[in-house]
Amino acid sequence: MKATHSNEDVKAGTDVVLTVTNLGVGFFPDSARRYDVVRGVHLTLRAGQTTALVGESGCGKSITAAALGGLLPRGMVQDEGEIRWAAGVESRPGRGLAYVFQDPGECLNPVFTIRNQIHEVLPTEERGNAEERLVELMRQVGFAEPARVLASYPHQLSGGMQQRAMLAMALAGRPRVLVADEPTTALDVTVQAQILQLLKDLQRQENLAMLLITHNLGVVAAMADYVHVMYAGQIVEAGPASLLQAPRHPYVQGLLRALPRLRGPRQKLQGIEGSVPPLGQRPEGCRFHPRCPVARDICRQREPEWKAVDDQHAVACRAIGADGWE
Amino acid sequence: MSTPLLQVEHLRVTYRVARRKVVAVQDASFVARRGRCLGIAGESGSGKSSLARAILALEDQVSGKVLFDGQDVLRQTRAARREFRRRAQMVFQDPLGSLNPRLKVGAALGEVLRVHKIADSRADVQAQIARWLTTVGLDPAYADRFPHELSGGQRQRVNIARALCVGAEFLVADEPVSALDVSVQAQILNLLQTLQADCGITWVLIGHDLAVMRHMADDLLIMQAGEIVESGPAAQILEAPRHPYTRALLASASHLESAQNGL
Repeated sequence: MKATHSNEDVKAGTDVVLTVTNLGVGFFPDSARRYDVVRGVHLTLRAGQTTALVGESGCGKSITAAALGGLLPRGMVQDEGEIRWAAGVESRPGRGLAYVFQDPGECLNPVFTIRNQIHEVLPTEERGNAEERLVELMRQVGFAEPARVLASYPHQLSGGMQQRAMLAMALAGRPRVLVADEPTTALDVTVQAQILQLLKDLQRQENLAMLLITHNLGVVAAMADYVHVMYAGQIVEAGPASLLQAPRHPYVQGLLRALPRLRGPRQKLQGIEGSVPPLGQRPEGCRFHPRCPVARDICRQREPEWKAVDDQHAVACRAIGADGWE
Repeated sequence: MSTPLLQVEHLRVTYRVARRKVVAVQDASFVARRGRCLGIAGESGSGKSSLARAILALEDQVSGKVLFDGQDVLRQTRAARREFRRRAQMVFQDPLGSLNPRLKVGAALGEVLRVHKIADSRADVQAQIARWLTTVGLDPAYADRFPHELSGGQRQRVNIARALCVGAEFLVADEPVSALDVSVQAQILNLLQTLQADCGITWVLIGHDLAVMRHMADDLLIMQAGEIVESGPAAQILEAPRHPYTRALLASASHLESAQNGL
Protein backbone atom coordinates (compact mmCIF):
# COMPACT_ATOMS: atom_id res chain seq x y z
CA MET A 1 0.00 0.00 0.00
CA LYS A 2 1.18 3.45 -0.83
CA ALA A 3 2.15 5.28 2.32
CA THR A 4 0.08 8.38 2.96
CA HIS A 5 -0.58 10.62 5.89
CA SER A 6 -4.08 9.26 6.48
CA ASN A 7 -3.70 7.93 9.97
CA GLU A 8 -6.77 5.74 9.99
CA ASP A 9 -8.02 4.75 13.40
CA VAL A 10 -5.10 6.23 15.25
CA LYS A 11 -7.05 6.55 18.43
CA ALA A 12 -9.46 3.73 18.88
CA GLY A 13 -12.61 4.69 20.69
CA THR A 14 -12.98 8.18 19.27
CA ASP A 15 -15.75 8.48 16.73
CA VAL A 16 -14.66 9.36 13.27
CA VAL A 17 -17.20 11.86 11.97
CA LEU A 18 -15.73 12.68 8.62
CA THR A 19 -13.07 11.12 6.41
CA VAL A 20 -11.55 12.81 3.42
CA THR A 21 -9.54 10.63 1.06
CA ASN A 22 -7.30 11.88 -1.70
CA LEU A 23 -9.22 15.11 -2.17
CA GLY A 24 -8.38 17.08 -5.29
CA VAL A 25 -9.80 20.41 -6.39
CA GLY A 26 -9.20 21.90 -9.82
CA PHE A 27 -9.82 25.30 -11.32
CA PHE A 28 -11.53 25.08 -14.75
CA PRO A 29 -10.88 21.30 -14.76
CA ASP A 30 -12.24 20.82 -18.28
CA SER A 31 -10.42 23.58 -20.05
CA ALA A 32 -6.90 24.02 -21.34
CA ARG A 33 -6.24 26.49 -18.54
CA ARG A 34 -6.90 23.93 -15.83
CA TYR A 35 -5.04 24.39 -12.57
CA ASP A 36 -4.55 22.09 -9.64
CA VAL A 37 -5.66 23.95 -6.56
CA VAL A 38 -5.51 21.16 -4.00
CA ARG A 39 -4.17 17.63 -4.50
CA GLY A 40 -4.06 14.42 -2.48
CA VAL A 41 -5.50 15.68 0.81
CA HIS A 42 -6.39 13.06 3.41
CA LEU A 43 -8.13 14.10 6.61
CA THR A 44 -9.86 12.27 9.42
CA LEU A 45 -12.01 14.34 11.76
CA ARG A 46 -12.99 12.82 15.10
CA ALA A 47 -15.60 13.90 17.62
CA GLY A 48 -14.09 15.99 20.39
CA GLN A 49 -10.79 16.44 18.61
CA THR A 50 -9.20 19.30 16.74
CA THR A 51 -7.31 18.89 13.51
CA ALA A 52 -5.38 21.91 12.33
CA LEU A 53 -4.62 22.75 8.72
CA VAL A 54 -1.63 25.08 8.72
CA GLY A 55 0.05 26.92 5.91
CA GLU A 56 0.76 30.26 4.32
CA SER A 57 -1.69 32.13 2.13
CA GLY A 58 -2.50 30.41 -1.14
CA CYS A 59 -1.59 26.92 0.05
CA GLY A 60 -5.14 25.62 -0.32
CA LYS A 61 -6.28 25.33 3.28
CA SER A 62 -9.44 27.39 2.90
CA ILE A 63 -10.31 25.64 -0.37
CA THR A 64 -10.00 22.28 1.37
CA ALA A 65 -12.38 23.52 4.04
CA ALA A 66 -14.82 24.86 1.47
CA ALA A 67 -14.81 21.52 -0.35
CA LEU A 68 -16.03 19.76 2.80
CA GLY A 69 -19.32 21.62 2.67
CA GLY A 70 -19.58 21.76 -1.11
CA LEU A 71 -18.96 25.50 -0.91
CA LEU A 72 -16.22 25.77 -3.52
CA PRO A 73 -16.00 29.09 -5.31
CA ARG A 74 -17.30 29.33 -8.85
CA GLY A 75 -14.99 27.67 -11.35
CA MET A 76 -13.51 25.23 -8.87
CA VAL A 77 -14.57 21.61 -8.91
CA GLN A 78 -13.78 18.68 -6.68
CA ASP A 79 -12.44 16.36 -9.35
CA GLU A 80 -10.81 13.70 -7.24
CA GLY A 81 -11.24 11.86 -3.96
CA GLU A 82 -14.05 11.25 -1.57
CA ILE A 83 -15.61 13.01 1.42
CA ARG A 84 -17.29 10.41 3.60
CA TRP A 85 -19.54 11.25 6.54
CA ALA A 86 -20.17 8.83 9.40
CA ALA A 87 -23.56 7.14 9.31
CA GLY A 88 -26.34 9.26 10.72
CA VAL A 89 -24.59 12.61 10.43
CA GLU A 90 -26.36 15.18 8.37
CA SER A 91 -23.76 16.68 6.11
CA ARG A 92 -25.47 19.86 4.95
CA PRO A 93 -23.60 23.08 5.72
CA GLY A 94 -25.40 24.74 8.62
CA ARG A 95 -26.55 21.40 10.03
CA GLY A 96 -23.95 18.67 10.45
CA LEU A 97 -21.22 21.04 9.37
CA ALA A 98 -20.81 24.65 10.40
CA TYR A 99 -18.28 27.31 9.54
CA VAL A 100 -16.79 30.25 11.39
CA PHE A 101 -14.72 32.62 9.29
CA GLN A 102 -11.98 35.15 9.84
CA ASP A 103 -13.80 38.43 9.63
CA PRO A 104 -17.05 38.39 11.62
CA GLY A 105 -17.83 41.95 10.50
CA GLU A 106 -17.97 40.78 6.89
CA CYS A 107 -20.02 37.68 7.63
CA LEU A 108 -22.80 39.35 9.57
CA ASN A 109 -25.45 41.24 7.67
CA PRO A 110 -25.26 44.89 8.74
CA VAL A 111 -28.97 45.63 8.31
CA PHE A 112 -30.40 42.88 10.51
CA THR A 113 -30.22 42.39 14.25
CA ILE A 114 -28.35 39.44 15.72
CA ARG A 115 -31.71 37.92 16.77
CA ASN A 116 -32.92 38.10 13.20
CA GLN A 117 -29.82 36.49 11.77
CA ILE A 118 -29.60 33.62 14.24
CA HIS A 119 -33.34 32.97 14.03
CA GLU A 120 -32.97 32.59 10.30
CA VAL A 121 -30.53 29.68 10.61
CA LEU A 122 -32.44 27.77 13.30
CA PRO A 123 -33.86 24.42 12.17
CA THR A 124 -37.46 24.88 11.03
CA GLU A 125 -38.95 22.95 13.93
CA GLU A 126 -37.32 25.31 16.43
CA ARG A 127 -38.33 28.56 14.80
CA GLY A 128 -41.83 28.79 16.25
CA ASN A 129 -40.92 29.28 19.87
CA ALA A 130 -37.34 30.28 19.40
CA GLU A 131 -36.67 32.80 22.18
CA GLU A 132 -35.54 30.20 24.69
CA ARG A 133 -33.14 28.57 22.23
CA LEU A 134 -31.75 31.96 21.17
CA VAL A 135 -31.03 32.91 24.78
CA GLU A 136 -29.44 29.52 25.38
CA LEU A 137 -27.15 29.96 22.36
CA MET A 138 -26.17 33.44 23.54
CA ARG A 139 -25.30 32.11 27.00
CA GLN A 140 -23.35 29.26 25.46
CA VAL A 141 -21.04 31.66 23.66
CA GLY A 142 -20.52 33.66 26.83
CA PHE A 143 -22.86 36.64 26.62
CA ALA A 144 -24.01 37.77 30.04
CA GLU A 145 -26.84 39.89 28.63
CA PRO A 146 -28.42 37.81 25.85
CA ALA A 147 -31.38 40.11 25.35
CA ARG A 148 -29.26 43.17 24.71
CA VAL A 149 -26.97 41.41 22.25
CA LEU A 150 -29.86 39.77 20.41
CA ALA A 151 -31.40 43.19 19.86
CA SER A 152 -28.12 44.67 18.58
CA TYR A 153 -26.99 45.32 15.06
CA PRO A 154 -23.51 44.01 14.17
CA HIS A 155 -21.91 47.48 14.21
CA GLN A 156 -22.91 47.88 17.85
CA LEU A 157 -20.72 44.93 18.83
CA SER A 158 -16.95 44.73 19.13
CA GLY A 159 -14.95 42.33 16.94
CA GLY A 160 -14.79 39.73 19.70
CA MET A 161 -18.52 39.97 20.36
CA GLN A 162 -19.25 39.67 16.65
CA GLN A 163 -17.19 36.49 16.53
CA ARG A 164 -19.15 35.13 19.51
CA ALA A 165 -22.37 35.89 17.65
CA MET A 166 -21.02 34.04 14.61
CA LEU A 167 -20.27 31.07 16.85
CA ALA A 168 -23.80 31.13 18.22
CA MET A 169 -25.05 31.06 14.65
CA ALA A 170 -22.76 28.14 13.83
CA LEU A 171 -24.06 26.20 16.84
CA ALA A 172 -27.70 26.87 15.99
CA GLY A 173 -27.89 23.85 13.68
CA ARG A 174 -26.26 21.56 16.29
CA PRO A 175 -23.29 20.67 14.08
CA ARG A 176 -21.00 17.69 14.52
CA VAL A 177 -18.14 19.32 12.63
CA LEU A 178 -17.06 22.92 13.11
CA VAL A 179 -14.72 24.40 10.55
CA ALA A 180 -13.00 27.45 12.04
CA ASP A 181 -11.18 29.30 9.27
CA GLU A 182 -8.69 31.72 10.87
CA PRO A 183 -11.23 32.44 13.62
CA THR A 184 -9.03 34.85 15.57
CA THR A 185 -6.78 36.37 12.93
CA ALA A 186 -8.76 39.61 12.74
CA LEU A 187 -8.90 40.01 16.51
CA ASP A 188 -6.56 41.67 19.01
CA VAL A 189 -4.35 39.34 21.06
CA THR A 190 -6.24 39.75 24.30
CA VAL A 191 -9.57 38.96 22.61
CA GLN A 192 -7.96 36.16 20.62
CA ALA A 193 -7.19 34.24 23.80
CA GLN A 194 -10.84 34.51 24.93
CA ILE A 195 -12.23 33.25 21.65
CA LEU A 196 -9.80 30.33 21.53
CA GLN A 197 -10.83 29.34 25.05
CA LEU A 198 -14.48 29.60 24.06
CA LEU A 199 -13.88 27.35 21.05
CA LYS A 200 -12.30 24.77 23.35
CA ASP A 201 -15.20 24.93 25.81
CA LEU A 202 -17.80 24.61 23.08
CA GLN A 203 -15.94 21.70 21.58
CA ARG A 204 -16.01 19.85 24.88
CA GLN A 205 -19.69 20.63 25.59
CA GLU A 206 -20.89 19.64 22.13
CA ASN A 207 -18.29 16.95 21.40
CA LEU A 208 -17.48 18.74 18.16
CA ALA A 209 -14.98 17.57 15.62
CA MET A 210 -13.09 20.75 14.76
CA LEU A 211 -11.10 21.59 11.67
CA LEU A 212 -9.02 24.61 12.56
CA ILE A 213 -7.48 26.57 9.73
CA THR A 214 -4.74 28.94 10.65
CA HIS A 215 -1.33 30.25 9.71
CA ASN A 216 -0.46 30.82 13.37
CA LEU A 217 1.63 28.00 14.82
CA GLY A 218 0.97 29.26 18.33
CA VAL A 219 -2.77 28.82 17.82
CA VAL A 220 -2.14 25.29 16.56
CA ALA A 221 -0.11 24.46 19.62
CA ALA A 222 -2.76 25.80 21.97
CA MET A 223 -5.69 24.10 20.25
CA ALA A 224 -4.91 21.14 18.05
CA ASP A 225 -4.61 17.39 18.58
CA TYR A 226 -3.50 16.74 15.02
CA VAL A 227 -1.83 19.00 12.52
CA HIS A 228 -1.50 18.90 8.75
CA VAL A 229 0.90 21.37 7.20
CA MET A 230 0.05 22.42 3.65
CA TYR A 231 2.29 23.93 1.02
CA ALA A 232 1.22 24.94 -2.49
CA GLY A 233 -1.93 22.79 -2.52
CA GLN A 234 -0.54 19.66 -0.92
CA ILE A 235 -0.04 18.34 2.57
CA VAL A 236 3.67 18.05 3.31
CA GLU A 237 3.70 16.87 6.90
CA ALA A 238 1.02 15.39 9.13
CA GLY A 239 0.77 13.93 12.59
CA PRO A 240 0.04 14.74 16.23
CA ALA A 241 0.37 18.46 17.02
CA SER A 242 3.54 17.73 18.97
CA LEU A 243 5.34 17.21 15.64
CA LEU A 244 5.81 20.99 15.56
CA GLN A 245 8.43 20.58 18.27
CA ALA A 246 10.59 18.56 15.94
CA PRO A 247 9.28 18.87 12.40
CA ARG A 248 11.03 16.88 9.67
CA HIS A 249 9.98 18.64 6.47
CA PRO A 250 12.45 21.39 5.46
CA TYR A 251 9.54 23.78 4.85
CA VAL A 252 8.08 23.30 8.32
CA GLN A 253 11.52 23.58 9.88
CA GLY A 254 12.04 26.83 7.97
CA LEU A 255 8.68 28.21 9.10
CA LEU A 256 9.59 27.66 12.73
CA ARG A 257 12.96 29.38 12.29
CA ALA A 258 11.27 32.34 10.63
CA LEU A 259 9.05 32.98 13.60
CA PRO A 260 10.01 35.84 15.94
CA ARG A 261 9.94 34.71 19.57
CA LEU A 262 9.19 36.38 22.86
CA ARG A 263 11.46 34.03 24.78
CA GLY A 264 14.88 32.56 24.27
CA PRO A 265 17.94 34.13 22.68
CA ARG A 266 17.27 37.17 20.50
CA GLN A 267 18.80 35.98 17.27
CA LYS A 268 18.55 37.02 13.65
CA LEU A 269 15.42 35.68 12.00
CA GLN A 270 15.87 33.26 9.15
CA GLY A 271 13.31 33.63 6.41
CA ILE A 272 12.78 31.03 3.73
CA GLU A 273 14.24 32.28 0.44
CA GLY A 274 11.74 33.18 -2.27
CA SER A 275 7.98 33.05 -1.85
CA VAL A 276 5.04 30.67 -2.18
CA PRO A 277 4.52 29.97 -5.90
CA PRO A 278 1.19 31.30 -7.18
CA LEU A 279 -1.37 28.99 -8.77
CA GLY A 280 -0.23 28.09 -12.27
CA GLN A 281 3.44 28.64 -11.46
CA ARG A 282 3.86 25.67 -9.19
CA PRO A 283 7.05 23.85 -10.08
CA GLU A 284 7.42 20.25 -11.25
CA GLY A 285 8.55 17.60 -8.80
CA CYS A 286 8.42 18.61 -5.17
CA ARG A 287 6.65 21.97 -5.03
CA PHE A 288 8.99 23.22 -2.35
CA HIS A 289 12.22 22.42 -4.18
CA PRO A 290 13.08 25.95 -5.44
CA ARG A 291 13.11 27.18 -1.83
CA CYS A 292 14.46 24.04 -0.23
CA PRO A 293 17.96 24.10 1.29
CA VAL A 294 18.49 20.35 0.83
CA ALA A 295 16.87 19.79 -2.57
CA ARG A 296 18.57 17.53 -5.10
CA ASP A 297 17.97 16.74 -8.74
CA ILE A 298 15.42 14.06 -8.03
CA CYS A 299 13.29 16.61 -6.11
CA ARG A 300 13.12 18.74 -9.25
CA GLN A 301 11.94 15.83 -11.38
CA ARG A 302 9.76 13.59 -9.24
CA GLU A 303 6.99 14.15 -6.71
CA PRO A 304 8.03 13.51 -3.13
CA GLU A 305 7.22 10.22 -1.45
CA TRP A 306 5.45 9.86 1.86
CA LYS A 307 7.74 8.60 4.60
CA ALA A 308 6.56 7.45 8.01
CA VAL A 309 8.51 9.00 10.89
CA ASP A 310 6.55 6.91 13.36
CA ASP A 311 3.13 5.28 13.22
CA GLN A 312 1.32 8.64 13.44
CA HIS A 313 3.72 11.12 11.92
CA ALA A 314 4.41 11.21 8.17
CA VAL A 315 6.37 13.52 5.89
CA ALA A 316 6.30 14.04 2.13
CA CYS A 317 10.01 14.49 1.54
CA ARG A 318 12.68 12.38 -0.10
CA ALA A 319 15.38 13.66 2.23
CA ILE A 320 13.87 11.84 5.20
CA GLY A 321 14.30 8.30 6.44
CA ALA A 322 16.45 5.28 5.68
CA ASP A 323 16.93 5.95 1.97
CA GLY A 324 17.10 9.71 2.51
CA TRP A 325 20.20 11.90 2.53
CA GLU A 326 20.10 13.24 6.04
CA MET B 1 25.60 62.79 23.29
CA SER B 2 23.85 63.63 20.05
CA THR B 3 20.35 65.04 20.15
CA PRO B 4 17.61 62.62 19.14
CA LEU B 5 16.51 62.84 15.52
CA LEU B 6 12.88 63.10 16.52
CA GLN B 7 11.52 64.66 19.66
CA VAL B 8 7.79 64.69 20.27
CA GLU B 9 6.24 66.80 23.01
CA HIS B 10 2.66 66.70 24.26
CA LEU B 11 1.32 65.58 20.93
CA ARG B 12 -2.44 65.40 20.64
CA VAL B 13 -4.31 64.18 17.58
CA THR B 14 -8.06 64.63 17.21
CA TYR B 15 -10.61 63.74 14.58
CA ARG B 16 -13.99 65.24 13.94
CA VAL B 17 -16.58 62.49 13.74
CA ALA B 18 -20.15 63.59 13.10
CA ARG B 19 -19.51 67.02 14.65
CA ARG B 20 -18.03 65.41 17.73
CA LYS B 21 -14.38 65.58 18.60
CA VAL B 22 -12.62 62.27 19.12
CA VAL B 23 -9.18 62.24 20.69
CA ALA B 24 -7.02 59.65 18.95
CA VAL B 25 -3.74 60.44 20.66
CA GLN B 26 -3.48 62.11 24.03
CA ASP B 27 -0.42 63.94 25.33
CA ALA B 28 2.28 61.79 23.72
CA SER B 29 5.90 62.67 24.47
CA PHE B 30 8.87 60.60 23.37
CA VAL B 31 12.10 60.65 21.38
CA ALA B 32 13.48 58.53 18.54
CA ARG B 33 17.23 58.12 18.90
CA ARG B 34 19.46 58.39 15.84
CA GLY B 35 20.21 55.11 14.09
CA ARG B 36 17.83 53.17 16.32
CA CYS B 37 14.50 51.47 15.90
CA LEU B 38 11.65 52.78 18.01
CA GLY B 39 8.74 50.34 18.28
CA ILE B 40 5.19 51.52 18.90
CA ALA B 41 2.94 48.65 19.93
CA GLY B 42 -0.71 48.45 20.82
CA GLU B 43 -3.96 46.86 19.79
CA SER B 44 -6.18 48.14 17.02
CA GLY B 45 -7.70 51.51 17.85
CA SER B 46 -4.98 52.38 20.33
CA GLY B 47 -3.86 55.37 18.24
CA LYS B 48 -0.54 54.04 16.99
CA SER B 49 -1.22 54.78 13.33
CA SER B 50 -2.59 58.24 14.13
CA LEU B 51 0.57 58.90 16.06
CA ALA B 52 2.70 57.70 13.15
CA ARG B 53 0.86 59.91 10.69
CA ALA B 54 1.04 62.89 13.00
CA ILE B 55 4.82 62.78 13.37
CA LEU B 56 5.10 62.85 9.57
CA ALA B 57 2.77 65.88 9.43
CA LEU B 58 0.09 63.87 7.66
CA GLU B 59 -2.69 64.76 10.12
CA ASP B 60 -4.49 68.12 10.36
CA GLN B 61 -5.79 68.47 13.85
CA VAL B 62 -2.62 68.13 15.80
CA SER B 63 -1.33 70.12 18.73
CA GLY B 64 1.97 69.89 20.55
CA LYS B 65 5.44 69.77 19.10
CA VAL B 66 7.17 67.40 16.70
CA LEU B 67 10.83 68.38 16.50
CA PHE B 68 12.67 66.73 13.61
CA ASP B 69 16.37 67.50 13.82
CA GLY B 70 15.46 70.48 15.97
CA GLN B 71 12.78 71.94 13.65
CA ASP B 72 9.10 71.82 14.46
CA VAL B 73 7.50 69.97 11.54
CA LEU B 74 4.01 71.19 12.49
CA ARG B 75 5.02 74.81 11.86
CA GLN B 76 7.20 74.78 8.78
CA THR B 77 7.75 76.95 5.75
CA ARG B 78 6.89 75.39 2.42
CA ALA B 79 10.54 74.89 1.51
CA ALA B 80 11.33 73.30 4.86
CA ARG B 81 8.28 71.04 4.53
CA ARG B 82 9.49 69.92 1.13
CA GLU B 83 12.87 69.00 2.52
CA PHE B 84 11.20 67.20 5.45
CA ARG B 85 9.09 65.20 2.98
CA ARG B 86 12.31 63.95 1.41
CA ARG B 87 14.11 63.12 4.64
CA ALA B 88 11.22 61.42 6.41
CA GLN B 89 9.38 58.58 4.65
CA MET B 90 6.70 56.02 5.32
CA VAL B 91 6.05 52.38 4.43
CA PHE B 92 2.50 51.11 4.80
CA GLN B 93 0.87 47.81 5.69
CA ASP B 94 -0.72 46.95 2.37
CA PRO B 95 2.12 46.64 -0.13
CA LEU B 96 -0.18 46.50 -3.16
CA GLY B 97 -2.46 49.34 -2.07
CA SER B 98 0.49 51.67 -1.70
CA LEU B 99 1.76 51.17 -5.26
CA ASN B 100 0.13 52.73 -8.30
CA PRO B 101 -1.15 49.73 -10.31
CA ARG B 102 -0.48 51.51 -13.59
CA LEU B 103 3.14 52.41 -12.91
CA LYS B 104 5.93 49.94 -13.47
CA VAL B 105 8.33 49.55 -10.59
CA GLY B 106 10.98 51.61 -12.37
CA ALA B 107 8.52 54.42 -13.05
CA ALA B 108 7.37 54.45 -9.42
CA LEU B 109 10.93 54.92 -8.23
CA GLY B 110 11.80 57.31 -11.07
CA GLU B 111 8.89 59.56 -10.13
CA VAL B 112 10.11 60.20 -6.59
CA LEU B 113 13.69 60.65 -7.77
CA ARG B 114 12.52 63.36 -10.16
CA VAL B 115 10.14 65.05 -7.72
CA HIS B 116 12.89 65.40 -5.16
CA LYS B 117 15.46 66.24 -7.85
CA ILE B 118 17.78 63.46 -6.73
CA ALA B 119 18.92 62.36 -10.17
CA ASP B 120 19.89 64.84 -12.88
CA SER B 121 19.86 62.81 -16.07
CA ARG B 122 17.83 59.96 -17.47
CA ALA B 123 20.83 57.65 -17.26
CA ASP B 124 21.38 58.65 -13.67
CA VAL B 125 17.73 57.85 -12.84
CA GLN B 126 18.12 54.40 -14.38
CA ALA B 127 21.36 53.77 -12.52
CA GLN B 128 19.87 54.78 -9.19
CA ILE B 129 16.78 52.65 -9.74
CA ALA B 130 18.99 49.65 -10.47
CA ARG B 131 21.15 50.36 -7.44
CA TRP B 132 18.19 50.63 -5.06
CA LEU B 133 16.45 47.54 -6.39
CA THR B 134 19.66 45.63 -5.75
CA THR B 135 19.95 47.14 -2.28
CA VAL B 136 16.50 45.82 -1.31
CA GLY B 137 17.28 42.40 -2.76
CA LEU B 138 15.51 42.59 -6.12
CA ASP B 139 16.94 42.00 -9.57
CA PRO B 140 17.19 45.33 -11.48
CA ALA B 141 15.10 43.68 -14.22
CA TYR B 142 12.10 44.11 -11.91
CA ALA B 143 12.06 47.79 -12.92
CA ASP B 144 10.08 46.61 -15.94
CA ARG B 145 7.35 44.84 -13.97
CA PHE B 146 3.95 46.03 -12.81
CA PRO B 147 3.05 45.71 -9.11
CA HIS B 148 0.51 42.94 -9.79
CA GLU B 149 3.28 40.79 -11.24
CA LEU B 150 5.15 40.78 -7.94
CA SER B 151 4.63 38.76 -4.77
CA GLY B 152 3.68 40.52 -1.52
CA GLY B 153 7.22 40.43 -0.22
CA GLN B 154 8.63 41.80 -3.47
CA ARG B 155 6.10 44.64 -3.44
CA GLN B 156 7.09 45.56 0.08
CA ARG B 157 10.73 45.61 -1.05
CA VAL B 158 9.75 48.06 -3.78
CA ASN B 159 7.97 50.24 -1.23
CA ILE B 160 11.07 50.26 0.93
CA ALA B 161 13.26 51.15 -2.05
CA ARG B 162 10.89 53.96 -3.00
CA ALA B 163 10.98 55.35 0.53
CA LEU B 164 14.75 55.24 0.85
CA CYS B 165 15.93 56.13 -2.68
CA VAL B 166 15.43 59.84 -2.04
CA GLY B 167 18.04 59.76 0.69
CA ALA B 168 15.64 59.40 3.61
CA GLU B 169 17.09 59.38 7.10
CA PHE B 170 13.87 58.64 8.94
CA LEU B 171 11.43 55.86 8.10
CA VAL B 172 8.06 55.14 9.65
CA ALA B 173 6.90 51.60 8.91
CA ASP B 174 3.24 51.02 9.81
CA GLU B 175 2.68 47.26 10.22
CA PRO B 176 5.07 46.58 7.31
CA VAL B 177 4.89 42.79 7.57
CA SER B 178 1.36 42.14 8.87
CA ALA B 179 0.03 41.38 5.40
CA LEU B 180 2.90 39.01 4.56
CA ASP B 181 3.40 35.30 5.07
CA VAL B 182 5.58 34.20 7.96
CA SER B 183 8.42 32.94 5.78
CA VAL B 184 8.50 36.26 3.93
CA GLN B 185 8.02 38.41 7.05
CA ALA B 186 11.43 37.39 8.29
CA GLN B 187 13.04 38.41 4.98
CA ILE B 188 11.54 41.91 5.15
CA LEU B 189 12.34 42.40 8.83
CA ASN B 190 15.93 41.35 8.18
CA LEU B 191 16.12 43.73 5.23
CA LEU B 192 14.93 46.63 7.39
CA GLN B 193 17.46 45.73 10.04
CA THR B 194 20.29 45.61 7.48
CA LEU B 195 19.25 48.98 6.04
CA GLN B 196 19.18 50.45 9.53
CA ALA B 197 22.78 49.36 10.02
CA ASP B 198 24.10 50.09 6.51
CA CYS B 199 22.35 53.40 5.80
CA GLY B 200 22.22 54.64 9.39
CA ILE B 201 18.48 55.03 9.21
CA THR B 202 16.40 55.96 12.20
CA TRP B 203 13.08 54.23 12.09
CA VAL B 204 9.78 53.80 13.82
CA LEU B 205 8.11 50.41 13.63
CA ILE B 206 4.38 50.37 14.30
CA GLY B 207 2.96 46.96 15.09
CA HIS B 208 0.86 44.73 17.28
CA ASP B 209 3.20 41.74 17.45
CA LEU B 210 5.39 41.91 20.54
CA ALA B 211 7.63 39.09 19.35
CA VAL B 212 8.47 41.15 16.25
CA MET B 213 9.15 44.15 18.52
CA ARG B 214 11.52 42.07 20.60
CA HIS B 215 13.57 41.26 17.51
CA MET B 216 13.54 44.70 15.94
CA ALA B 217 13.02 47.52 18.42
CA ASP B 218 15.67 49.18 20.55
CA ASP B 219 13.13 51.35 22.35
CA LEU B 220 9.46 50.63 22.78
CA LEU B 221 6.24 52.53 23.44
CA ILE B 222 3.10 50.69 24.49
CA MET B 223 -0.14 52.47 23.61
CA GLN B 224 -3.61 51.94 24.93
CA ALA B 225 -6.68 53.99 24.06
CA GLY B 226 -4.66 56.91 22.70
CA GLU B 227 -2.17 57.12 25.54
CA ILE B 228 1.37 55.91 25.95
CA VAL B 229 1.14 53.68 28.99
CA GLU B 230 4.72 52.44 29.07
CA SER B 231 7.98 53.41 27.40
CA GLY B 232 11.63 52.50 27.67
CA PRO B 233 14.21 50.10 26.29
CA ALA B 234 12.39 47.28 24.48
CA ALA B 235 14.30 44.50 26.19
CA GLN B 236 13.47 45.89 29.62
CA ILE B 237 9.75 46.36 28.90
CA LEU B 238 9.36 42.88 27.47
CA GLU B 239 11.40 41.33 30.26
CA ALA B 240 9.77 43.14 33.16
CA PRO B 241 6.61 45.00 32.11
CA ARG B 242 5.37 47.47 34.70
CA HIS B 243 2.01 48.59 33.41
CA PRO B 244 -0.90 46.14 33.86
CA TYR B 245 -1.91 46.59 30.22
CA THR B 246 1.57 45.68 28.96
CA ARG B 247 1.48 42.64 31.20
CA ALA B 248 -1.90 41.59 29.82
CA LEU B 249 -0.69 42.02 26.24
CA LEU B 250 2.46 40.07 26.92
CA ALA B 251 0.60 37.33 28.76
CA SER B 252 -1.82 36.78 25.85
CA ALA B 253 1.03 36.68 23.37
CA SER B 254 3.31 34.42 25.35
CA HIS B 255 0.47 32.08 26.25
CA LEU B 256 0.39 30.91 22.65
CA GLU B 257 4.14 30.80 22.39
CA SER B 258 4.61 28.70 25.48
CA ALA B 259 1.90 26.37 24.22
CA GLN B 260 4.06 25.98 21.16
CA ASN B 261 7.26 25.38 23.10
CA GLY B 262 5.75 23.05 25.63
CA LEU B 263 3.63 20.89 23.38
